[in-house]
Amino acid sequence: MRISIDKKKLSEAVHIAARFAERKAGSLPALSSVLILAGDDGIKLRATNLETGIDLKIEGRCDGEGVVAVPASILSQLASSLSGEGVVSLESAGETLTVKADTGTSSVKTVPYDDFPSIPFPEDQRNHITLPGVVLKSLFSAIAPCASPSTIRPELASLYLSIEGGTLTAVATDSFRLAEKKVSLSNKGTQGVVLIPSKNALEIAQALPDEEVVMSFDDHQCAFAGNGTLLVSRLTNAAYPDYRQIIPKDAVAEAMVLRRDFENALRRVTIFSDSFQKIRLDFDVKAKRLELFARNADVGESSEALSAQLEGSALEISFNHRYLAAVLGLTSAESLSLSAAGIGRPLVIRGVGDASLLYLVSPMNQ
Amino acid sequence: MDKANPRELWEYILTQVELSISPANFNTWFRDSSIVKIGEDGIVYIGVPSQFFKDWYLKKFHTLLLKIVRDISYEFRNIEYLIVKDERRKPPREPRNERGAMELPLDEFYINKSDNLNPKYTFDTFVIGSFNNLAYAAAQAVIQRPGITYNPLFIYGDTGRGKTHLIQAIGNYFKKQHPGRKAFYLTSEKFVVDFTDAVQSGTANRFKDKYRQYDLLIMDDVQFLSKKDKTQEELFHLFNALYDNNKQIVFSSDRPPVAIPDIADRLKSRLASGMAIDIGEPDQESRAAIVRKKAASHGVTLSDEVIEYVANATSGSIRELEGMVNSIVCHAQVKGSVPDIAEVRQSLRSFTRPQKNISVKNVVDKVAEFYGIDENSIYEKTRRREVVRPRQVIMYLLREDFHVSYPTIGSKLGGRDHTTVIHSCEKIKREVVEDSELAKEIQNIRTLLT
Repeated sequence: MRISIDKKKLSEAVHIAARFAERKAGSLPALSSVLILAGDDGIKLRATNLETGIDLKIEGRCDGEGVVAVPASILSQLASSLSGEGVVSLESAGETLTVKADTGTSSVKTVPYDDFPSIPFPEDQRNHITLPGVVLKSLFSAIAPCASPSTIRPELASLYLSIEGGTLTAVATDSFRLAEKKVSLSNKGTQGVVLIPSKNALEIAQALPDEEVVMSFDDHQCAFAGNGTLLVSRLTNAAYPDYRQIIPKDAVAEAMVLRRDFENALRRVTIFSDSFQKIRLDFDVKAKRLELFARNADVGESSEALSAQLEGSALEISFNHRYLAAVLGLTSAESLSLSAAGIGRPLVIRGVGDASLLYLVSPMNQ
Repeated sequence: MDKANPRELWEYILTQVELSISPANFNTWFRDSSIVKIGEDGIVYIGVPSQFFKDWYLKKFHTLLLKIVRDISYEFRNIEYLIVKDERRKPPREPRNERGAMELPLDEFYINKSDNLNPKYTFDTFVIGSFNNLAYAAAQAVIQRPGITYNPLFIYGDTGRGKTHLIQAIGNYFKKQHPGRKAFYLTSEKFVVDFTDAVQSGTANRFKDKYRQYDLLIMDDVQFLSKKDKTQEELFHLFNALYDNNKQIVFSSDRPPVAIPDIADRLKSRLASGMAIDIGEPDQESRAAIVRKKAASHGVTLSDEVIEYVANATSGSIRELEGMVNSIVCHAQVKGSVPDIAEVRQSLRSFTRPQKNISVKNVVDKVAEFYGIDENSIYEKTRRREVVRPRQVIMYLLREDFHVSYPTIGSKLGGRDHTTVIHSCEKIKREVVEDSELAKEIQNIRTLLT
């Protein structure tokens, strides 16, 4: 194999691809490496950790065909050390890959590539949607962190994507809070539900190109293709809870506050929250104020009263402040609406004027 | 291993797979998989975590896995891969041995499922004497050039002479010499049961395929096939299939092929077509050697006096000798010392063979029935040839097999003189050697009597 690639392009591509290689020690050497393919299709980088996989095309000159697998960590260190303009040439001979850039020459020991697994694509190509990569990227990186970090319940450690009626709905929950965000699609025909492990969704979000992306899926696998990049992830094979059932339909108290006020108040009150990270919300309907209160026996206490539009009856209810703060990253709306359905029932937060978002927080015991 | 239990089957498969691929490969691809179910149609469903695994299993491990399950049982027809639900992926944990008790060393006693051979039967533990050295030599020749030198090898001899040991040793040695080739041991009774099961369940073709795949087929106690016409026919076809492909076949029986009653002639001639060897009665030295070897294998050294006593205590069956040695070893272990001759005599009292008790009338009835004559005519003074011959045979049998005294035989058979009886016995004894037809008749009568 003999190829030459622009330094910057190689560096970027390797940086993206290397993320998909297995990072755990003791696994198959082929899994912790990046496969470089040079052939009729051009130059490609491929990596997989059996959860996700990437197949990335890079522009470059191919003078000799070939396949070589190089340890991902070595390749990414090498690629990130490249600076300035110019071209890198990669040449494989025997069990080494020679990388020549400017003044330096490095010979990297390669890994047998027979063990490198094939990257499976969804078998049924009919199920696909097209949307801008940048939208998908922000959707994934916003919602996926709300999923459960523990894999004991795999469905809760996944991002739920439902495609129906021209809308893509992404949902994630760790059973303490739930985030739902909707994106409208240009093609309306496709229907389906997929569960992507949230860890995979986050990795894919990092690698998605900004351009148009085609997402296709079947029962076990989903793929994202766009601009020469192909990303695949396995799907969680489990039933997702019917989360719509837990969204309260009526509200006992409803408050509308400015996002900026809420954010500041929350930041200050949080300092005084106890080891349970508890803060109390008072819906003071008479005074038209929403109060935030926290007390820590060791530190002290703090309260903030925000002027708000309030409806309903007075209510005191406590939450984990982290879950309240998380909503701020999900919407860019200027004001937030908080509607409580009563003691012991979850609080619904929405962005005013942003119908795409729904955020649900379960209260703490009083 | 219970091959119907998915977890045990999977664990067995894992142990096999582990030997054939690298540890990194094994950890990566097999850690999270398991058998989901075993279909009734012989398809094994392996649950894998994702499409990556499914593709890779199909590409890289399918033939290996298929070979492993086929080796376990030919009933497994195929393997399919399922992507399992995430929560199901972890197999339920086996209840652990909490008491920390030491396990019994049962492992060495497992009979290998894939070939049915008992690993304890080897040539190392086989005692060679003048009575069996021909059979041993033939077995060695078979191992040197399986399927070519003596095919089939037919070993016969009375019960407890070491036939099973010898033929299983052939299997075990063959397995060691040719790891890639398949040996299979079974008794003819198992063959019959297998065949009838296959016919009942309509899987006769699978039955045929199952047996035709072996490179060495060992069938014990073929005499039990007598009167089983359909099974004989099946064995006949199987024999031809194996024989034509130069696969070695080994049979054992308690009598020579020609003497097996009620077996189709075409099968009979095939059984005898290779090499038929008799394992005779072990002589005194061989018996002593066997006793010494068996005792030594249990870590007990017996005095020559004791060995001689044990070797002479019974005649014939090595199995009985083994039983005696076991009982002596047991005594030795309980008492903590090697028993002397008096103790051995005491402890072996139970082994002294009970006299075979059979009434003269019974023998007369059976023989008369065999020759198709009226039993009363035996007791009469007639000298008709068709009566004389059976009468002489009866005398011979009573004398040889049941050790009845000459005068008793004479008086029981219608008050004949004991010299007449002696003459008759001697006559038959002489003729048996020369006349194979008569020998066969007597052999058949003996089976009727036991």
